[in-house]
Amino acid sequence: MKSLQDDRVGTGSSQRPGSPNKGAGTARVKARPADRIFRFLSTGSAGLIMVILAGVALFLIIKAGPAIVANWSTTTDLSGGTTHGFSSFWAYVGPLIWGTLFSALIALVLGAPVAIGIALFISHYAPRRLAGVLGYLVDLLAAVPSVVFGLWGIFVIRPFLIPFQDWLNQYLGWIPLFSGPVSRTGSTMLAGGVVLAVMILPIITSISREIFLQTPRLHEEAALALGSTKWEMVKLAVFPYARSGIVSATLLGLGRALGETMAIALIMSPSLVFSVQMITDTRNSQTIAANIALNFPESNDLQRDGLIATGLALFVISFGVNFIARLVIARTGGPRRAKKSARLTPASDATSLLTADAAESPVSIRSEQAARDAEAGDERTELAAEQNEDR
Amino acid sequence: MSATAIPNSRRPRGPVPNALTSAQLPRFVELYTLLAALAVSAAVLAMIGFNIVGWLVLTAVIYLVGLGILSSVVENRRKATDRVIRGVVTIAFLLALIPLVSTLVTVIAGGAPALTWDFITKTGGSVFNPQTLKVTVVQGAWQAIVGTLIVTGIAAVISIPIGILAAIYLVEYAQPTQWMARTVTFLVDVMTGIPSIVAGLFAFSLFTLIVGPKAFSGFSASVALSVLMIPIVIRSTEEMLKLVSNDLREASFALGVTKFSTIVRIVLPTAIAGIITGVMLAISRVIGETAPIFIAASFTDNFNANPFSGAMQTLPVMAYSGYKFPSQDIAASYQSAWGAALLLVILVVILNLIARIVARVFAPKGLR
Amino acid sequence: MTDSEGNTVKFNKAAAAGTIALASVLALAACSSDGSGSPSTSTSTASKPAAVDYSSLSGTLTAGGSSAQANAQAAWTAAFTAQASGVKINYDKSQGSGGGVTNWLNGSYDFAGTDAALSADQFTQAQTTCGSAGGVNIPVYLSGVSIIYKLDGVSKLNLDAKTIAEIFAGKITTWNDPAITALNSGVTLPSTPISVVHRSDGSGTTANFTTYLHQQQPSVWTWDAGTAWPNSIGSGQQGGSGVVNTVAAGNGTIGYADQSSIGDATAASVEVGSTGKFVAYSEAGATASLDASGVIDAQGDGDLTVAIDTTKITSAKAYPIPLLSYDVLCKSFKDSAQGKLTAAYLGFIVSSTGQKIGAKNAGAAPLPASFQTKAADTLSSIK
Repeated sequence: MKSLQDDRVGTGSSQRPGSPNKGAGTARVKARPADRIFRFLSTGSAGLIMVILAGVALFLIIKAGPAIVANWSTTTDLSGGTTHGFSSFWAYVGPLIWGTLFSALIALVLGAPVAIGIALFISHYAPRRLAGVLGYLVDLLAAVPSVVFGLWGIFVIRPFLIPFQDWLNQYLGWIPLFSGPVSRTGSTMLAGGVVLAVMILPIITSISREIFLQTPRLHEEAALALGSTKWEMVKLAVFPYARSGIVSATLLGLGRALGETMAIALIMSPSLVFSVQMITDTRNSQTIAANIALNFPESNDLQRDGLIATGLALFVISFGVNFIARLVIARTGGPRRAKKSARLTPASDATSLLTADAAESPVSIRSEQAARDAEAGDERTELAAEQNEDR
Repeated sequence: MSATAIPNSRRPRGPVPNALTSAQLPRFVELYTLLAALAVSAAVLAMIGFNIVGWLVLTAVIYLVGLGILSSVVENRRKATDRVIRGVVTIAFLLALIPLVSTLVTVIAGGAPALTWDFITKTGGSVFNPQTLKVTVVQGAWQAIVGTLIVTGIAAVISIPIGILAAIYLVEYAQPTQWMARTVTFLVDVMTGIPSIVAGLFAFSLFTLIVGPKAFSGFSASVALSVLMIPIVIRSTEEMLKLVSNDLREASFALGVTKFSTIVRIVLPTAIAGIITGVMLAISRVIGETAPIFIAASFTDNFNANPFSGAMQTLPVMAYSGYKFPSQDIAASYQSAWGAALLLVILVVILNLIARIVARVFAPKGLR
Repeated sequence: MTDSEGNTVKFNKAAAAGTIALASVLALAACSSDGSGSPSTSTSTASKPAAVDYSSLSGTLTAGGSSAQANAQAAWTAAFTAQASGVKINYDKSQGSGGGVTNWLNGSYDFAGTDAALSADQFTQAQTTCGSAGGVNIPVYLSGVSIIYKLDGVSKLNLDAKTIAEIFAGKITTWNDPAITALNSGVTLPSTPISVVHRSDGSGTTANFTTYLHQQQPSVWTWDAGTAWPNSIGSGQQGGSGVVNTVAAGNGTIGYADQSSIGDATAASVEVGSTGKFVAYSEAGATASLDASGVIDAQGDGDLTVAIDTTKITSAKAYPIPLLSYDVLCKSFKDSAQGKLTAAYLGFIVSSTGQKIGAKNAGAAPLPASFQTKAADTLSSIK
């Protein structure tokens, strides 16, 4: 640990009075070699990311190019085999894009709320001893390889969902999602979506849980002291603090759902169609990643290029989704800690909630005061955290 | 669910009962409501045909509605909301526990019979009997265990420093408006969307350029995994670093501590638990990858501990190929596939434990 | 058909050789042509107790491709390396035929397993990889496509080509359809709906199966033969194991899979042509079937691409849906030692001993003797 050595020297010397400090974030203490090296390393790592991605992008574009521009109905390599029957790349990739988005959406709708619920349960509701074990159990699930989820889907989820799908079709068949004919093998979009949802659970839960646990203790206590119920405390203190983190966690989960290969490939009976039907055998929209995995082995060179081109599309999709999500975060107040700016309390949330409650709550609360208190509390938080053994 | 919920109501941090205005439900009301809900839904289902899933679902609904109504009548709307939310969160947890436990049980039930000492410590292979021309398959996972550790280990060694340093750059050094910071954030977003098979192809093509056509090696698989791992490490580390209070940094700067020391001695230790969770997530995510490994490291049943040359076997590939390409003795193949899956999970548990110990050593005293 | 007559003769000789093989296996295993031995003619290969000593060989073979060959390759590898302890062979079955050929064309593999012989284009490309001599296809693995089903209470089922085509085209949808009951007198078929299960991934098994349907029933099976399942009937499953599992887990299900991977699943008997005879799969049946339907359609010197016409299968002993898989390799290797090693291994595979090992351990059928000798001939010319 050479860096630690350097660092100790740095700390020792920096305790001399009079070190220039130009204020909060832009602190410019006299740069030492370790400082400069470290800065160079971290900037270099960031730069390396660009190089890696440029490499991957270049690779993708070079490989995908021929298949994108080719005429698929007249090129012999593409008009047969696994890419048979498509007039162009766009006709081929269209249904795949839809299938990818649709399956990820199902997974997110089923998985994300539950995942955040679990994270909240572990961080704020479960008894402390139990919470540790539970957190560990969830982390463990992140480690289960996707092949295993696929096998689990085949042997457990598929048969389990068959009667449920019949039921859905019988009573809710008028909704296009649940229209028939119902699959008798169970290899449906719904089964795939359920397994995807389970797969993204641990990712979203682990990160959300860590973030919930980081909520300043004094924020929570302030909220409670003002007479909030536990839920109000969570809404007031925990969620606003964790919003950016929850979105990030969800995006990571979404990333996994979008790119998941083996589980979908093993479970779902795919077709390249635009379809919202979830419980049939023949109308499940295939996803990009699973399509690559299924067809890659038997494809010839140009067909492989076509598949890689769909991979490029997945690239673009995941970027688009991330971009929209970032836009949404920015619109709704942004990551709570805009660096270098004074910290903001989510006054709007607190105000609306507490004023609404003030009318009927026995403890009448001044919302602004609450906000101010919370802010004050925040400043003491880290100190408290240091001292608080219980935490 | 009441078993976990009840002790909470005794905790001092819970809502303080306000005896001034409102009445309160008795302490075990949640348990009573649950029992009532179980009974009512059983009765309802007894009339229209009983099944266990329907029973549990209906119980949950009746419990939530019943408790909500009860609480809003006796107590008040806020408390009712609180109780219902507590119920919802607990139910979400129990609901999620079902598939999670089911997966684990499936893996353990499938894999446990395969897990003998020989399976773990012997290289899989086959014995040929020239008298009968019979080939007997010997199940063994040692080559896959070693392969997994090497491939993932190298990937981790590459990705963790790069990922953490890049996250430090984003949070500590870069101005959020700077072009480079924006570009890197953008690229990390894009990188999370790289399909794993594409990462494998990329790494293999890269190494084909460098070492020629027979580029199959554990190392090229590691590079593929790194491409998948780096964005996860950056994303989670970035979030954790953002959560470190600025006050700490400011206090440190105020004492004249250099930026480097502030980051290494104040910021990182404060966030270490979260960072390690993120890193472990990233490792867990890539350790189970199959597609990039069989593209970049090919496939072998032979033992190979040299990451720089030759095909390498890993546990997830073993599990996948055991299922997808079973030998004539299908049952034995499936068993070794499950065995490999279980070994993989156990391996990750061990890694997780080590990581937690590391986190504890480096975390500041008193913090959790 | 002088060719077929010749085959019969050679077949008998090979059969005789097989008997000897059982008695003195090791010696015979060594006798197969490996390309480095003295000039071998087609007839002498199988019976000549030549001394090819594999134990002097060493090196690593990197190969991959067709997953149909996977089990056979594993068995061959085990048997070969038992004699040539200095050799390591890595056959990557997860690549699939397309991946195998692609990697081979890129020079990553010494040989590739593929369910479809190299196309004309690929032959041309091979000249950049292998030099002007190009590559060759060697048939190595023979099996059959089984029609597997699960129908409670029905343990024996007869089907003919037309019915199979109609079932998989979605035209017959219940098990008690008159077309099926007519073929199964004495069996009570329930009115259970038929659930078709097919491969969702590109597959050589699909290609062989659709070739059969297309050749037999072009009016019912209007789709071209190919590696991808062409219509939107039924449920798609990944891999032969996916089809087998899904068929076994359901009721009223029917699917197709490589005979060697069906495990305990129940397979239907298939009518040979329109002879009224229903044949269950047997190794001898598959061998007889290729003998009757396969003609060498060489695309180049020494190449052994086989054109299969299933309509020529008429013998009641032959199983009507054969599945043939090739190994492709360069005619001349850049590294001659590597060439020798590859040819030795493939020579072992196509020897009668190698084929027996495949049959015993991987459910494969032995190649007809004429194919064995031709393959040995070609391999002897590999440099």
